[in-house]
Amino acid sequence: MEMLRVWPIVCEFGIGAILCFVGIWCGLHGGYLNLKNADDRRLLFILIGGYFFLLGIMCIFTFLSPNWANGGSL
Amino acid sequence: MIAQAIGGNLDYAVMLGYFVAVLGFGLYFGRYTKTTKDFFFGGQRFSWWLIAFSCIATVVGSYSFIKYSAAGFRYGISSTQSYLNDWFWMPILVLVWLPIVYYNKITSVPEYLESRFDRKTRVAATIIILFYIVGYIGINLVTLGRTLQTLLGWRIMTGAAVTAVAVALYVYAGGQTAVIMTDLVQGLILLIAGLGLFAGAIYHFGGFGEFWSLLPRAHKYAFSDFSSPPDFSFIGIYVQDGLANTGALMLMHQGFIMRFLSLKSVKDSRRMVVCWILVLAPLAAIATSCGGWIAKALVNNGELVTEPGDSFVKAANFLCAPGVFGFVLAALTAALMSTADSLINAVSAIFVNDIWKPYVKPASTDRHYLLVARITSLCAAGFGLVLVPIFMDKTLYSAHSMFTAAVTPPVVIAIFLGITWKRYTPAAAFVTIVGGAILISLSFVWPDALVGPFDFGMGPDSYDFMRALFGLLAAGALGVSVTLFTKPKPEEKIRGLVAGTQLDAMRRFKGAEPNRRPGEKVRLRVKIDRNLSGQNVVTLPQSALDKMAAEPGDLLYASHIRWWYGGLRSVHVKAGAPIESEDADLVRISPEDAASAHFTEGQQVVVEKIM
Repeated sequence: MEMLRVWPIVCEFGIGAILCFVGIWCGLHGGYLNLKNADDRRLLFILIGGYFFLLGIMCIFTFLSPNWANGGSL
Repeated sequence: MIAQAIGGNLDYAVMLGYFVAVLGFGLYFGRYTKTTKDFFFGGQRFSWWLIAFSCIATVVGSYSFIKYSAAGFRYGISSTQSYLNDWFWMPILVLVWLPIVYYNKITSVPEYLESRFDRKTRVAATIIILFYIVGYIGINLVTLGRTLQTLLGWRIMTGAAVTAVAVALYVYAGGQTAVIMTDLVQGLILLIAGLGLFAGAIYHFGGFGEFWSLLPRAHKYAFSDFSSPPDFSFIGIYVQDGLANTGALMLMHQGFIMRFLSLKSVKDSRRMVVCWILVLAPLAAIATSCGGWIAKALVNNGELVTEPGDSFVKAANFLCAPGVFGFVLAALTAALMSTADSLINAVSAIFVNDIWKPYVKPASTDRHYLLVARITSLCAAGFGLVLVPIFMDKTLYSAHSMFTAAVTPPVVIAIFLGITWKRYTPAAAFVTIVGGAILISLSFVWPDALVGPFDFGMGPDSYDFMRALFGLLAAGALGVSVTLFTKPKPEEKIRGLVAGTQLDAMRRFKGAEPNRRPGEKVRLRVKIDRNLSGQNVVTLPQSALDKMAAEPGDLLYASHIRWWYGGLRSVHVKAGAPIESEDADLVRISPEDAASAHFTEGQQVVVEKIM
């Protein structure tokens, strides 16, 4: 595995996780983000889901896409 | 330079037609602007999808197509990485910053800084932010002038002046409403043009696989190398764009603050941000970068010869039929106008709210402030235009870019710490902003000593990027260390202004305990009732209140039944005591509220509870 390709993902999604954690904690602290409320639960799910969705896309375009065969085999 | 060799008369006619149409569209929406609240915040009535499109139009600047296509030509799909950093800021934006500014009715970033800290912090931030935005208008006008010079052969000043006049006119007439509505059109145009170009290229090559096979392997990675090359390394772009610029966009950019405040509710801001960041931003990344990828594939296929800087225009000209190319040129113009209009409106808001109102003419009428706001819009465009000849000198242009890189990290850090850390003190905030800016300025004098330790071995060529990391760390260290030795503001004075107290801000906004019970929308007929005049209250049947899970005193939002109006015809009202009448589907509304929402007697409207 080329670590020079892995470090950007670790860096972006590592610091990104800290930022997301700070935001979610600040929302939960004081009750503004209320997990008893369906809308708020959905928002939390979207926040976490969006993070992993982007992580998945970045992994595909780091580890898979450069190896995709040419032309018709796609 | 490409000069007039590209495009034909039909292309230029399409571009001119678009220019005139946008101007007329913007002027038309002047009829919806009657107060400063309308002028700055569009009456706080718009739907999430409208704001999402207008945000993406503002993010994509005049330089985006040229700059990102050039990066795409040189480095491949990693040119999109600047657009994909926003998600990580979303929790802080939607759960902390937006509730604080919206529910406290904060009209500008400096106003927040005074409420949270003190007046001197507000003054420091006002000076820095105004300088930053006015200079940014100048840079945008120069960029468009240069683009029009390339495409049409006009002088830079001529292109800049024509655009500045057009944008200033529709902002003058329509304020934020005109900005949002024209940006909706411009956002659609630039996405359709960019993505259409990409689809056309795939068709030209015979499929995605064929296109993909024409790109070198190094062009197929989502990120560039961690620390090379110095002017396009991952770490350089990440700290400069992903942390400093995106942080500035989310927390400090007055144009975006005003756009967020134009939403009908904070709940809508959640949908807006998801649509903007998770859907539209990746599409915009492809739209602005694909010209470079296509040009690279065409070059590798022996069909085109181009330099990176011309790759977007040349690829578009190669693939597009006459007239269609004009549409793509219109998208370039759209990108400029949709950024400049937001900046002009933002200057106006800061000048009126942070200088005119508190220092020059306090306690005047709203009509007076609206006039000042409109005149300031014209002046902001004028100032930007005056800066064009100065920024045409490349050295000064670079100097301003460096200045903006220098001022954003301290203000971003001050806001970030201010909203997330109760202990953060007024003295620390002032030192963060002023001291941080001074330290970053010194990094231009002694770059090797100050920025060098943070360059990841890339050397001086990386300093323009890595200075952001130095700025964030220096400002952060100042803020934290001064906080430890100074006294924080009493907790009761920062209630509603810091994380953990958002519910207090909601209570303040409503003037009562917020009702957060989930309810449904109801469809009712309008009955204009003169007895309600001057109250901003509507009366509805009990059944409608029950369906909305609303109670008397709750904040409601009534809008036209056609969703695609996007809230243009709508109004915020309070629920009055329920009425029992023969007509169970009537909402009684005052003549003023009906006029504000453009409702007529007997018209069907949708009513929903906000809180």
